[in-house]
Amino acid sequence: MNSIEEKLWNYIDGSCTLQERQAIAMLIEQDEVYRKKYDELLTLNQEFSTMEVDEPSMAFTYNVMEAIRTEKAMQPLKSAINKRIILSIAAFFILTISVLVVMILSKVNWHWGNSSALDVTVPVPTQIAANVTHVNSFFSGPLLKGFLFFDIVIGLFLLDNYFRKKHLYGR
Amino acid sequence: MQNKFTDTELIEQTLAGNQSAYADLVKRHQRFVFTLAMRFAKGREDAEEIAQDCFIKAYKSLSSFQQQSKFSTWLYSIVYTTSMTFLRKKRVDTTSIDDEATFIQIEGRASGFDEHSADNRSRSFYLNQAIGQLLPDDATIITMFYKGEQSLEEIAQVLGIEANTVKVKLFRARQRLKERLERNLKHEVNELI
Repeated sequence: MNSIEEKLWNYIDGSCTLQERQAIAMLIEQDEVYRKKYDELLTLNQEFSTMEVDEPSMAFTYNVMEAIRTEKAMQPLKSAINKRIILSIAAFFILTISVLVVMILSKVNWHWGNSSALDVTVPVPTQIAANVTHVNSFFSGPLLKGFLFFDIVIGLFLLDNYFRKKHLYGR
Repeated sequence: MQNKFTDTELIEQTLAGNQSAYADLVKRHQRFVFTLAMRFAKGREDAEEIAQDCFIKAYKSLSSFQQQSKFSTWLYSIVYTTSMTFLRKKRVDTTSIDDEATFIQIEGRASGFDEHSADNRSRSFYLNQAIGQLLPDDATIITMFYKGEQSLEEIAQVLGIEANTVKVKLFRARQRLKERLERNLKHEVNELI
């Protein structure tokens, strides 16, 4: 590496210490070799500064903004949904479940009977009890089997999709 | 028309949902980003694709920009990474000018820089031609230093190396550019004779 050139470039760039700067300035003033080289590098430095910056096409900004708009529109729902909305929904369900648990616990008959077990009796209103019996009738054998079969088919379909994608990215 | 807002203000407006503020940021930086991309791609179409990709990436991660550096420095680091990925993908054949064969042509040349030769063509034409013949890293450092208003420390941040290494790389890149420029000018003069 040419030490004279290196020193002079540092001097031109202003990336040397004050002491080095003074020393180089003195060398340029007194030494003919340094002065010639300094003039040459200074000319070169000015030449480099005139470097032209390229111009993209006229529609560049429009294309960028259009691409951003398209990407935004294609954003998956999970990343488009605000996290606050998710948290609010979660808070609502937690609150509802908590209220239900408190209500149920307040209705429990905390009575120790003759047996050693705790007799927990939750009074269920007659109308609700009738509805529960009605709902139970839906979970009869064929319906439950149909539901499970449908679940298995969906599960296999999703698993197939997952393996296809994995195989595709792997390639 | 010059936009009165600073980069930081435009970023804040963009994060607040104003997309036209980001369009202003793109307009402000597109020329330099495109120029940097040209240093790697060597073709306008590919360079535009890289530049566009960079602005989309920057938009997506704008909220993570900590503003500990200039927006331009942050943006240029995206440009550098994207361009390097592009180069790796395209597997562009770049001939190192460190090659012995290349230096054979340079040997025996006068070190003086003749600024009065080949007047019939603009100086910037030869300069751009010589920059185009440099390795992408050399061309990028020179472009960022002279046109990107980036200090040695900022260039180091963009390239992910030490400032002192940038200083050495800049010195070598300038030497190579000088040699290229001299060679091209001499070739042009010979053609004219």
